[in-house]
Amino acid sequence: MVDTAMRSSPRAMLALLLAWLVPGAGHVYMGRTARGVIIFLTIGATFWFGVAMGGVMTVDSRNERWWFIADMFTGVHGLVSWQRQEKVWNRLIDEDGQAQRLAQLDPLQQQAVADKKLNDAGLALVAPTDTVARAFAGVAGLLNLMCIFDAAMLSLMGIRGEPAEKVSKGRQGP
Amino acid sequence: MNGWTLFYNPMTLDFYRLLWLLLPLCAFVAITYKTIRVENLRRLPLEILLLCVYLVLGLSGLGVGLYIVQRLWM
Repeated sequence: MVDTAMRSSPRAMLALLLAWLVPGAGHVYMGRTARGVIIFLTIGATFWFGVAMGGVMTVDSRNERWWFIADMFTGVHGLVSWQRQEKVWNRLIDEDGQAQRLAQLDPLQQQAVADKKLNDAGLALVAPTDTVARAFAGVAGLLNLMCIFDAAMLSLMGIRGEPAEKVSKGRQGP
Repeated sequence: MNGWTLFYNPMTLDFYRLLWLLLPLCAFVAITYKTIRVENLRRLPLEILLLCVYLVLGLSGLGVGLYIVQRLWM
Protein backbone atom coordinates (compact mmCIF):
# COMPACT_ATOMS: atom_id res chain seq x y z
CA MET A 1 0.00 0.00 0.00
CA VAL A 2 1.51 3.33 -0.99
CA ASP A 3 0.86 6.66 0.64
CA THR A 4 0.24 8.32 -2.68
CA ALA A 5 -2.75 6.19 -3.48
CA MET A 6 -5.51 8.09 -5.17
CA ARG A 7 -7.93 9.01 -2.44
CA SER A 8 -10.89 11.29 -2.36
CA SER A 9 -9.74 14.53 -3.94
CA PRO A 10 -9.73 17.47 -1.55
CA ARG A 11 -11.16 20.68 -2.80
CA ALA A 12 -8.65 22.15 -5.24
CA MET A 13 -9.91 25.69 -4.77
CA LEU A 14 -9.36 25.46 -1.01
CA ALA A 15 -5.81 24.18 -1.55
CA LEU A 16 -5.18 27.01 -3.99
CA LEU A 17 -6.60 29.66 -1.66
CA LEU A 18 -4.68 28.34 1.36
CA ALA A 19 -1.45 28.14 -0.64
CA TRP A 20 -1.86 31.77 -1.72
CA LEU A 21 -2.98 33.17 1.63
CA VAL A 22 -0.34 31.49 3.79
CA PRO A 23 2.65 30.22 1.79
CA GLY A 24 3.07 26.51 2.52
CA ALA A 25 -0.46 26.06 3.88
CA GLY A 26 -1.54 24.39 0.64
CA HIS A 27 1.09 21.71 1.13
CA VAL A 28 0.15 21.26 4.78
CA TYR A 29 -3.46 20.82 3.64
CA MET A 30 -2.30 18.18 1.18
CA GLY A 31 -0.59 16.25 3.99
CA ARG A 32 2.94 17.45 3.24
CA THR A 33 3.52 19.24 6.52
CA ALA A 34 7.33 19.32 6.51
CA ARG A 35 7.39 20.78 3.00
CA GLY A 36 4.72 23.31 3.97
CA VAL A 37 6.76 24.51 6.94
CA ILE A 38 9.92 24.83 4.81
CA ILE A 39 7.99 26.76 2.14
CA PHE A 40 6.43 29.05 4.76
CA LEU A 41 9.81 29.88 6.30
CA THR A 42 11.62 30.31 2.98
CA ILE A 43 8.99 32.47 1.25
CA GLY A 44 8.62 34.58 4.40
CA ALA A 45 12.40 34.98 4.73
CA THR A 46 12.79 35.95 1.06
CA PHE A 47 9.99 38.49 1.19
CA TRP A 48 10.95 40.12 4.51
CA PHE A 49 14.64 40.12 3.53
CA GLY A 50 13.58 42.36 0.64
CA VAL A 51 11.39 44.55 2.83
CA ALA A 52 14.19 44.83 5.40
CA MET A 53 16.44 46.23 2.67
CA GLY A 54 13.87 48.46 0.98
CA GLY A 55 11.80 49.59 3.93
CA VAL A 56 8.09 50.26 4.00
CA MET A 57 7.94 51.50 0.38
CA THR A 58 9.19 48.22 -1.11
CA VAL A 59 5.63 47.14 -1.88
CA ASP A 60 4.47 50.07 -3.98
CA SER A 61 1.08 49.76 -5.65
CA ARG A 62 1.33 53.14 -7.38
CA ASN A 63 4.71 53.27 -9.05
CA GLU A 64 5.82 49.64 -9.28
CA ARG A 65 2.76 47.78 -10.52
CA TRP A 66 4.51 44.71 -11.95
CA TRP A 67 6.53 44.16 -8.80
CA PHE A 68 3.36 44.81 -6.82
CA ILE A 69 1.51 42.03 -8.66
CA ALA A 70 4.41 39.66 -7.92
CA ASP A 71 4.42 40.76 -4.25
CA MET A 72 0.72 39.95 -3.93
CA PHE A 73 1.39 36.29 -4.66
CA THR A 74 2.99 36.05 -1.20
CA GLY A 75 -0.48 36.26 0.35
CA VAL A 76 -0.52 37.46 3.92
CA HIS A 77 3.04 38.80 3.71
CA GLY A 78 2.23 40.99 0.72
CA LEU A 79 -1.10 42.11 2.15
CA VAL A 80 0.45 43.16 5.47
CA SER A 81 3.21 45.01 3.66
CA TRP A 82 0.74 46.75 1.34
CA GLN A 83 -1.41 47.80 4.28
CA ARG A 84 1.67 49.26 6.03
CA GLN A 85 2.70 51.10 2.87
CA GLU A 86 -0.79 52.58 2.38
CA LYS A 87 -0.92 53.69 6.00
CA VAL A 88 2.45 55.43 5.81
CA TRP A 89 1.65 56.94 2.38
CA ASN A 90 -1.69 58.37 3.51
CA ARG A 91 -0.15 59.76 6.69
CA LEU A 92 2.63 61.43 4.71
CA ILE A 93 0.33 62.91 2.07
CA ASP A 94 -2.24 64.14 4.55
CA GLU A 95 0.09 65.19 7.37
CA ASP A 96 -0.49 68.90 6.76
CA GLY A 97 -4.00 68.68 5.31
CA GLN A 98 -2.66 68.83 1.74
CA ALA A 99 -4.44 65.75 0.38
CA GLN A 100 -7.30 67.67 -1.29
CA ARG A 101 -4.97 70.29 -2.75
CA LEU A 102 -2.64 67.57 -4.02
CA ALA A 103 -5.51 65.78 -5.75
CA GLN A 104 -6.09 68.86 -7.91
CA LEU A 105 -2.55 68.76 -9.34
CA ASP A 106 -1.68 66.86 -12.50
CA PRO A 107 -0.09 63.40 -12.02
CA LEU A 108 3.49 64.60 -12.66
CA GLN A 109 3.20 67.35 -10.06
CA GLN A 110 1.56 64.92 -7.63
CA GLN A 111 4.49 62.54 -8.13
CA ALA A 112 7.02 65.33 -7.57
CA VAL A 113 5.33 66.37 -4.30
CA ALA A 114 5.04 62.76 -3.16
CA ASP A 115 8.72 62.08 -3.98
CA LYS A 116 9.78 65.12 -1.99
CA LYS A 117 7.72 64.05 1.00
CA LEU A 118 9.16 60.53 0.87
CA ASN A 119 12.66 61.93 0.59
CA ASP A 120 12.12 64.27 3.55
CA ALA A 121 10.80 61.37 5.64
CA GLY A 122 13.84 59.21 4.75
CA LEU A 123 11.64 56.65 2.99
CA ALA A 124 12.55 57.22 -0.66
CA LEU A 125 13.80 54.06 -2.32
CA VAL A 126 16.72 54.81 -4.62
CA ALA A 127 19.07 52.73 -6.75
CA PRO A 128 20.54 50.24 -6.19
CA THR A 129 18.51 49.39 -3.08
CA ASP A 130 15.14 49.64 -4.87
CA THR A 131 16.03 47.01 -7.48
CA VAL A 132 17.49 44.54 -5.01
CA ALA A 133 14.73 44.95 -2.41
CA ARG A 134 11.93 44.64 -4.95
CA ALA A 135 13.66 41.70 -6.63
CA PHE A 136 13.74 39.76 -3.34
CA ALA A 137 10.10 40.59 -2.49
CA GLY A 138 8.96 39.89 -6.07
CA VAL A 139 10.88 36.63 -6.35
CA ALA A 140 9.22 35.51 -3.10
CA GLY A 141 5.86 36.05 -4.78
CA LEU A 142 6.88 34.16 -7.91
CA LEU A 143 8.26 31.28 -5.83
CA ASN A 144 4.95 31.10 -4.00
CA LEU A 145 3.13 31.10 -7.34
CA MET A 146 5.08 27.91 -8.13
CA CYS A 147 4.02 26.45 -4.75
CA ILE A 148 0.38 27.46 -5.32
CA PHE A 149 0.44 25.68 -8.67
CA ASP A 150 2.03 22.58 -7.11
CA ALA A 151 -0.52 22.44 -4.27
CA ALA A 152 -3.40 22.88 -6.74
CA MET A 153 -2.04 20.14 -9.01
CA LEU A 154 -1.58 17.74 -6.07
CA SER A 155 -5.16 18.45 -5.08
CA LEU A 156 -6.54 17.97 -8.59
CA MET A 157 -4.68 14.67 -8.91
CA GLY A 158 -5.90 13.59 -5.49
CA ILE A 159 -2.38 12.98 -4.18
CA ARG A 160 -2.17 13.35 -0.41
CA GLY A 161 0.81 12.84 1.87
CA GLU A 162 4.44 12.23 1.06
CA PRO A 163 5.38 10.04 -1.89
CA ALA A 164 6.06 6.44 -0.92
CA GLU A 165 9.74 5.57 -0.57
CA LYS A 166 11.07 3.44 -3.39
CA VAL A 167 12.20 0.03 -2.21
CA SER A 168 15.80 -0.61 -3.22
CA LYS A 169 16.72 -3.68 -5.25
CA GLY A 170 17.60 -6.73 -3.21
CA ARG A 171 15.41 -5.71 -0.34
CA GLN A 172 12.00 -7.16 0.00
CA GLY A 173 9.05 -4.96 0.70
CA PRO A 174 6.43 -5.69 3.31
CA MET B 1 10.47 60.02 12.28
CA ASN B 2 13.97 60.30 13.66
CA GLY B 3 16.64 57.65 13.29
CA TRP B 4 16.62 54.52 11.20
CA THR B 5 14.15 51.68 11.72
CA LEU B 6 14.43 48.20 10.25
CA PHE B 7 11.55 47.28 7.89
CA TYR B 8 10.62 50.98 7.70
CA ASN B 9 13.56 52.94 6.30
CA PRO B 10 15.53 51.64 3.30
CA MET B 11 19.11 50.46 3.74
CA THR B 12 21.99 52.05 1.91
CA LEU B 13 23.60 49.28 -0.10
CA ASP B 14 27.14 49.41 -1.40
CA PHE B 15 26.95 49.06 -5.17
CA TYR B 16 30.18 47.02 -5.37
CA ARG B 17 29.02 44.47 -2.81
CA LEU B 18 25.60 43.91 -4.33
CA LEU B 19 26.66 40.74 -6.10
CA TRP B 20 26.99 38.97 -2.76
CA LEU B 21 23.22 39.19 -2.45
CA LEU B 22 23.04 36.70 -5.30
CA LEU B 23 23.98 33.98 -2.79
CA PRO B 24 20.93 34.27 -0.50
CA LEU B 25 18.66 34.76 -3.51
CA CYS B 26 19.95 31.57 -5.14
CA ALA B 27 19.65 29.75 -1.82
CA PHE B 28 16.02 30.82 -1.36
CA VAL B 29 15.15 29.82 -4.94
CA ALA B 30 16.91 26.45 -4.58
CA ILE B 31 15.23 25.67 -1.24
CA THR B 32 11.73 26.45 -2.49
CA TYR B 33 12.13 24.70 -5.83
CA LYS B 34 13.68 21.54 -4.39
CA THR B 35 11.19 21.43 -1.51
CA ILE B 36 8.35 20.87 -3.94
CA ARG B 37 10.29 18.75 -6.46
CA VAL B 38 12.32 16.29 -4.40
CA GLU B 39 10.84 12.82 -3.91
CA ASN B 40 12.59 11.95 -0.67
CA LEU B 41 12.97 14.68 1.93
CA ARG B 42 16.13 13.08 3.28
CA ARG B 43 17.87 14.02 0.03
CA LEU B 44 16.68 17.63 0.29
CA PRO B 45 19.85 19.27 1.75
CA LEU B 46 22.08 17.68 -0.92
CA GLU B 47 19.69 18.58 -3.75
CA ILE B 48 19.46 22.17 -2.48
CA LEU B 49 23.22 22.48 -2.27
CA LEU B 50 23.67 21.13 -5.79
CA LEU B 51 21.05 23.42 -7.31
CA CYS B 52 22.45 26.38 -5.40
CA VAL B 53 25.93 25.71 -6.78
CA TYR B 54 24.53 25.31 -10.32
CA LEU B 55 22.60 28.57 -10.04
CA VAL B 56 25.54 30.56 -8.69
CA LEU B 57 27.96 29.12 -11.26
CA GLY B 58 25.48 29.56 -14.11
CA LEU B 59 24.65 33.16 -13.22
CA SER B 60 28.31 33.99 -12.61
CA GLY B 61 29.22 32.49 -15.99
CA LEU B 62 26.44 34.47 -17.65
CA GLY B 63 27.67 37.63 -15.95
CA VAL B 64 31.28 37.04 -17.02
CA GLY B 65 30.14 36.21 -20.56
CA LEU B 66 28.06 39.37 -20.85
CA TYR B 67 30.92 41.41 -19.38
CA ILE B 68 33.30 40.06 -22.01
CA VAL B 69 30.80 40.74 -24.81
CA GLN B 70 30.28 44.25 -23.51
CA ARG B 71 34.04 44.92 -23.27
CA LEU B 72 34.86 43.50 -26.67
CA TRP B 73 31.99 44.62 -28.89
CA MET B 74 30.43 47.66 -27.26
